[in-house]
Amino acid sequence: MKPHEHAQPPQDYSRYMDLKEGWVDRRIFWDEAIYERELEAIFARCWQFVAHDSQVPNAGDFVTTYIGEDGVIVSRHTDGEVYVYLNACTHRGNKICFADEGNARRFTCNYHGWAYSTAGELLGLPSEHAYDPGDIDRTQWGPRKARVASYKGMIFATFDPEAPSLDDYLGDYRWYLDAFLDNDEGGIEFLPGTIKSYANANWKFGVENFIGDAYHAWWTHDAGGRAMMGGPFPPYDPSDTFQASVNGHGWEFALEGVGDIAILGSQEVIDYYTAQRPKMAQRIGELRARLFGSLASAAMFPNMTFLPGIHTFRTWLPRGPRKLELRIWTVVPKNAPESVKQAINIGCNLTFNPAGTLEMDDGENWEGNTRTNRGWVSRHEKLHYGCGKSRQIEHPELPGIVHEGQFNDANQRLFYQRWADLMNAKSWSEVPQRYTPRYAGRPTR
Amino acid sequence: MNAIAKDVQAATQPPSLELVSEVQQFYYREARLKDRQDYRAWLALLTDDIHYWMPARVQRYRRDERPPSRLDSAYYNDSMRELDKRITRLETDTCWTEDPATRTAHLVHNVEVEHTENADEYRVHSISQVYRNMNEDEEHTLYCLREDLLRRVDGQLRVARRLLTLQQNIFMNKSLNVFP
Ligand code: FES
Ligand SMILES: [Fe+2]
Repeated sequence: MKPHEHAQPPQDYSRYMDLKEGWVDRRIFWDEAIYERELEAIFARCWQFVAHDSQVPNAGDFVTTYIGEDGVIVSRHTDGEVYVYLNACTHRGNKICFADEGNARRFTCNYHGWAYSTAGELLGLPSEHAYDPGDIDRTQWGPRKARVASYKGMIFATFDPEAPSLDDYLGDYRWYLDAFLDNDEGGIEFLPGTIKSYANANWKFGVENFIGDAYHAWWTHDAGGRAMMGGPFPPYDPSDTFQASVNGHGWEFALEGVGDIAILGSQEVIDYYTAQRPKMAQRIGELRARLFGSLASAAMFPNMTFLPGIHTFRTWLPRGPRKLELRIWTVVPKNAPESVKQAINIGCNLTFNPAGTLEMDDGENWEGNTRTNRGWVSRHEKLHYGCGKSRQIEHPELPGIVHEGQFNDANQRLFYQRWADLMNAKSWSEVPQRYTPRYAGRPTR
Repeated sequence: MNAIAKDVQAATQPPSLELVSEVQQFYYREARLKDRQDYRAWLALLTDDIHYWMPARVQRYRRDERPPSRLDSAYYNDSMRELDKRITRLETDTCWTEDPATRTAHLVHNVEVEHTENADEYRVHSISQVYRNMNEDEEHTLYCLREDLLRRVDGQLRVARRLLTLQQNIFMNKSLNVFP
């Protein structure tokens, strides 16, 4: 069976949830067979973040990462293009590149020395005279390449030839992404260094938290919030706060403009963005200029998440149903002064990495969510996802499926709906469109 | 003689047994305060201008290796202000993940003391080992190469700089709730 030959899905995954009633079955966070289907139906199909342009600016620059559990090399070739291909030798399958990042003219496999170009082509084999004419056609034996596309500096890849274009996959989520990626003419850049860590938790718990769980912050992060802000989070006020969902991607947010930036604890950063705000409003409109920097969290399906105002950006790589690898970067406005970048870096790392005053409390929760499923009885119970079922609205400016109130399970329900849609589909053509795009075929800024 | 040459000369002067013993006793006290979670007393062992730094670890080929920069992502990149916020979090009474408390054992190994060109400051290399036991049965052991600048302030040793090189490529735990 080759990838993307369309076999019947092994079961009906809709039975693991009733999103009208508002519940999800716990087995999707534990079951090995469900996880195997996720690798095929989610990770081998969807566009996933692999790198930002600023991580691979020059020819030969590369990073290695994973699409699902498939290791990939992401490298900028001499033609200026970024190529993404399996980090696995086509000879006996050894890992080709063992570094996280660097610069290379070519990648040479350790086992027998097959060499690959930074465009993912098989360049040469040692002792090639051992091979007779007709033994190998080198042009056919490069590692499998992914499709690559980028949006405003973010590079994405998918191994599915039938996946929709990246623009269609993102849909109107682009409108929201612009508030993060394009609120200034210089855009964003990644600071150097990747924080990588393991948690013994199902990958979906990390993603669903960022996609729409403002609710936990007030309780989980009370201690961290008090330490960072000098007092508790202000009492929850649902007015002028929203959850928006597009194709399973989501963003939950207030519109006060500064709540998350303030958590960084740097007056210099607050002043920088206060001065930027009028320019930002000119560029992306008044509403999106208030959206950026507010108390908010966001995730792109399936596993890329970020906190725009706190400037942390991460991917949740699956490592089996009960383990994940988290990779974290700090994002800064490219045109900001170095002192602002450093203040963001310090505040972002102080709050959101495994040592962070806020994040430290999250991993514990998600490991608990996962580990209690060891119990056969526990595993067959339901989890409640019913908050805010009747709060859907039409908004004149906000695209996607919009719900009122930041404390709401709406984005999480829609994330699991997208999950079930993909798990049940034999191919992309069977995946239903669940919202009406406003920006189909045109730019969002 | 230029500054680097002076520094090298100072570093090659062997430390006295008294000094080595003083540094070791200082480290053991520091470790005990952390194991007892008496973090305010621990902070008092650091100078006001402390830089407490554990940069991200990235696996590179030898030809691509480079020293960390202050702009790198980091587990810790703290002045006293940031360290104080971390301790404040633990003092709030709502820090659920530290209740029940984490059980720790901080050990300091391979202590090597060097003089510097400044008579009041010593460069000290060591290995910090932290064993943690959390929740029901979770175990994690962390090793960091540690390079300190110790300064004598009013006769007492204090940590003025600490550079921690994490000896793990992927940090193999969900949280880093200790100060190696
Ligand atoms: S496995 Fe890579 S060259 Fe043989
Ligand atoms: Fe959180």
